[in-house]
Formats: sequence, C-alpha cells, structure tokens
Amino acid sequence: MIDVAFIGLSIGAILLLVSLGLAITYGSMGVINMAHGEMVMLGAYTNVLLGIWLNVGFLAAIPVAFMATALVGFVIERLVVRRLYGRLLDTMLATWGIAILLQEAVRLDLGLSLVGINIEGLGKGLQKVAAPDWLAGVVTIAGVQINAYRGFIILLTAVLTTATWILLYRTPLGIQVRAIMRNPKMAAACGINVERVNALTFAYGSGLAGIAGVMMSGFMTVSPEMGAPVVVDGFLVVVTGGLGSLLGTVWSAGILGEINGFVSSVTTDVVARAAVFAVLILIIVFRPNGLFSFRAR
Amino acid sequence: MALKRGHLDLIIYGAFVAVILVAPLWLDDFWVNRLSKYLVYGMLGIAISLSWGYAGILNLGQGLFFGAGAYMLAMSLKLASPTSLQSSDTPVPDFMLWNSEPGAVANLCCINRVSFLWIPFQHQWFGLIAGVALPSLIAGLLGTVLFRRRLAGAFVSIITLAFVLMIRLLVIEEQPLTNGFNGLTDLALLTIGNFQFDPYDRATYYLVAVSLSLALIGARLLVGTRAGLILQGIRDDQARARCLGFNVPAFQTLFFSVSAAIAGLAGMLYVVVAQFASPTFLDISFSITMVIWAAVGGRSSLLGACIGAIVINMIEATASETAALLDLWKVIIGLIFVLAVLFLPRGIAGLAGSVGDRLFAMWSRGRGQAELPSGAAQPAE
Repeated sequence: MIDVAFIGLSIGAILLLVSLGLAITYGSMGVINMAHGEMVMLGAYTNVLLGIWLNVGFLAAIPVAFMATALVGFVIERLVVRRLYGRLLDTMLATWGIAILLQEAVRLDLGLSLVGINIEGLGKGLQKVAAPDWLAGVVTIAGVQINAYRGFIILLTAVLTTATWILLYRTPLGIQVRAIMRNPKMAAACGINVERVNALTFAYGSGLAGIAGVMMSGFMTVSPEMGAPVVVDGFLVVVTGGLGSLLGTVWSAGILGEINGFVSSVTTDVVARAAVFAVLILIIVFRPNGLFSFRAR
Repeated sequence: MALKRGHLDLIIYGAFVAVILVAPLWLDDFWVNRLSKYLVYGMLGIAISLSWGYAGILNLGQGLFFGAGAYMLAMSLKLASPTSLQSSDTPVPDFMLWNSEPGAVANLCCINRVSFLWIPFQHQWFGLIAGVALPSLIAGLLGTVLFRRRLAGAFVSIITLAFVLMIRLLVIEEQPLTNGFNGLTDLALLTIGNFQFDPYDRATYYLVAVSLSLALIGARLLVGTRAGLILQGIRDDQARARCLGFNVPAFQTLFFSVSAAIAGLAGMLYVVVAQFASPTFLDISFSITMVIWAAVGGRSSLLGACIGAIVINMIEATASETAALLDLWKVIIGLIFVLAVLFLPRGIAGLAGSVGDRLFAMWSRGRGQAELPSGAAQPAE
C-alpha cells in the first residue's frame, strides 16, 4: 500500500516538474506553449550531450540544462510569443509550429546533417543516459524500500516548487509577475516593464522544463519525439489545478499521480492513464475554474 | 442587376467545385488517388471551420469523429473482406482468429467477449450509417454536457483533447475488439449495388469530390440560415444571445454535431481511399494539425479552411519527395504554421478576401457604382 502510494507520489512529482513551468507560462501569462514538451526534450538532450562531450556529472547537468532551455525560451518569447499575447489559441498553434521546428533541429543535428556533419548525441536515433551510480539503488526509509532515483525526483521537485513559490510570492520580480497576471495594462501603467518581465517569466518556465528533461532522461529513452506526450499531461494538470494557482497545480499533480499509481497497481498502465483522463474531464466539466483558483478582481 | 460582393463568393465556390471535378482529366491514377486523400482532408477543414470559425468552438479532438467514422465503415469492410472468411461460413476478422483462445468457436457471437459488437457490421449499410450517426451522437452528448454547463473557449478545447486521448488509449487497449495498434487493414472494397470503388479508380475520386462539394455547399447554406446567423451571434457574444432568449446550448450542440458528422463522413471516405483505419487517427498531433490547416486557410471561411488543408498537404507531399528538401519538409511545414499565425491571422482566405474587396471596389468605381462597404466586417468567404 505504502509502496503504491510512493510510486503514485513519484509519478505526481514528475507531472509537477513538467507542469510547474506550464503553470507559470499558461496559468500566469496566458500562453499555451505547445513547445513546452520540446523544452523537456532539449533538457534531456543537454544531459546526453554533457555526458558524451564533457563527462560532467548528473548534478552539473541540471543547472546547465536550466540555462540552455531558458535561453531557448527567451528567444522564442522575443521572436514569436510576444506578438501573440491575448490570443490564447493562436499561441497554441504558433508554438505547435515551433515544437515541430525544435524537433527537427535535434533530428537534423541543428541543420548540420544537411551538409554531412553529424553530432554525436543528436540526430534521429534514440539516446540513453544511465542514472548515476549514487542514485541507482534503493533506500530504506521507515521500513519501506524506496527507489533512490524516484526519491531524488520527489526531493528535487519539492525544492523547485518551493523556489518557484518564493520567486513568485516573496521577491520583487514575483510581485511584478503577479501584477501582470491580474492586469497587464494596469501593471504597465504602474511602471512595470511588462515586456521584460514576460520574457524572463517565459524563460524561467522553459528552464524548469529543461530540468524536468534532465530528470526524465534518467529513466526514459531520449528521442526527438519524447516531449509531445508530456505537454498534454502538463496542461491537464495545470487546468485541473486552476489557472494561476501554484498550490492548485501541486495538488492536482499529486492527486493525478496517486490515481495513476493506484489504478495501474490493480489493472494496467493504459487503463490507469485512461482513468486519469476521465477524472480530469469530470473535474474540468464540473469545476471549470479548477480545484483552486484565484478570484479575479 | 448589379454584381454584389456575395455573388462573388458564390462564383468562387462554384469555381472551386468545378476545378476539383475536372482536375482528374490532367492527372494520372496515382495522383488521382492522392488528390482524393487531400480532398478528404479538405472536408476536415470544413468541419473545423464550421465549429471553430462559425461557432467559436475550437475542438481539439476532431480526430475522434474522423476516427469513429473511419472505424465504423472499416469494420463493415473488414467483415466483407476475403481475409474474414477463412475459417467458417460466417465472417470473422482474421485478427480475432489469430488471438482466439484454443477451442473458441469461430463465430462473431462468441469468439471473444466483445466480438458480438461486430455482428451488425455484417450489413455494409449499418457501417455506412453508423459512420455518420456515431460521431454525431458522441458530439451531441458531449456538446449537451459541455454547453449546458456554459463551458467555452480553451476549456472546451482541453476537454475535447483529453477525451480523444482517453478514447485512443481505450481503442489501443481493447485489442480483441479493435486490433489495437495495428488498426484494421486488408479491407474489402466499398461496394454499392454492383459497383466496386477501387481507390485508384476515378469513380472513387468522384465519390470524394462530389461528397466534398455537397458538404461544402451544404455547410455554406447552413451558416446562411437563421440558425447559422444566431450561431454567429452566439460566437460573438454568448451572454447577449442568451439574454435575447436564444437557447444557446441547443444551437452550439447542433452545429457541433453537424461538424462531427462531416468529420465522420470524411473518415469513411478516407477508409475508401486509403484502405485502412488505425488509432493514429486519434493522435493528438493529427487533431492539432487539422486545426492548423484550417488556420492557415482561414478559420472563418469554409472554403478557405478546405483549400488550406488541400494546399498544405500538397506542399507536404511535394516537399517530402523532392530530394533536396527530403530532410527539410517538416521544417517547411513548421515554418508555415508559425508564420501563418503571426502574419496571416485570417489565413489565405482573409488575404484573398481583402484583395477581392479591393478589386471589387475598383471594379464598381469603374462602373460608376457607389462603393460598397468593405468586407472586413463580414467573414471573408
């Protein structure tokens, strides 16, 4: 029972890790970023490349992946997304195009394969990264055996969630982000540099996806297509939790992870995922504002 | 009688129908088959435009209706196929035989626990009717629940998205019923009367082209009716329409179902042309891609969305076969998606509409007629 709950918790942690970035870009900025899954993919590839070319450890890959994907996110915001604020569904369509472009960038070795150069670690094929030795085993806590890698994911997710909460609710930048979320025009009138804050927020959300990618590369094969299924799950979690509510996202990721864990322990993974979708649909139909939603003034 | 802007639209619709009807005269059999596939996609464009452009309901699960139509007809065609007549005198799909438990009776009634659902599909007409009826029914039920609860915008999109994902998982999981990942292949040809529709035959092309023309003209007439105008009123301001006493959910559900029926019809035609049905029809990427076809063509124009779907697929096919572009065609498609959203928010039809307005204004001035108000306010057709 406890081990099933633990597996559910770790599924929820991965969901949360992916959703945190979306909770910020979608929940706060009103951008449906379909390329978010590709940010996860880029984070995973950062880990692959660092392992091959520099042979630095897993822990070092986390900040590097954060910086790399944040940079990509920043560029996307400046080039495309900033022209689309207020056009929710258009952001979705345009970023779907970007997602295709990012996948192709990896598949074609950043375009170099067209001139016959191949970069090891990129390209069409699958990549595999071994989890580091110190996370390979099991840890026994209070009589329950815990897979160390899953445990680390839960821990890291908790740290990042806390960091995000502090950033949003306890720093001057966070106040500006929340002001823009409530009313961008008013925020601009109060002297907030809306463009700059939006670009930074988008970059931060993308960076979080990069970290999620590093963690996922430890237990999944890395491929250019790996991001696509992730993004949909992330959206559903954010909407279920309630737009603009970090707490809601945490709760809904946890609940959905547990449902997934428990249902798959009695039937199959596929049925478990179907059950999660069914629950999500019901929640959105009956509580369209999500489990937790802030009241707009 | 002076030429009106609305007449110009009719002429354009007529020209499009004429073009697709005479196109096979210049094409070889291979391209005829291919073009019929793209016309099927064009029909999906119409379905998207009807629900998104006219009803304001962005359905990200249109693939569900397409897939439902495709599977319904494919099940009938599967039972009519010689591969289903191997073991006994009653048809049983080959995949059920391969996976049957030892000693199971090779009959649809009881070869596995769900095979009885296939029994009515022995009649091809059941498949043909169910291919439109099932999508409309699902859309009717889904629409009733969603629109009664006054859900709108992104919420409807996300629910339809989750719904199609859920059904996709179940279709793959229910292997005894649906043949899972592999889908339904080795189908018989659609036979009506004594005539067989061979996918590489011109008759099949005309079946698709005529269906597309009827769907296009039918949808165009439908949005011009009183119900269609009320629907557009609802799209523009739901609260106002409700306060004026209109039954908002009923109108939305009606058009949602019509859109689903067109998508279901498209799914059936796809099975006739491509000879298979598979769970890839339920993939999220397919549903989103068809929305982008409509966006590139022009979401608020039925014909624009239809042409957008056809044109993008032709570009895709050409690019993926040109050696120099072999690796780049997906990049081209991605770029088209991004650039179209950024710089052509009303799509090709919007662009054509503004050009048409300008030409029309010039023409009327030349004839000494008063300039008509610009078409910018009305949706470009």
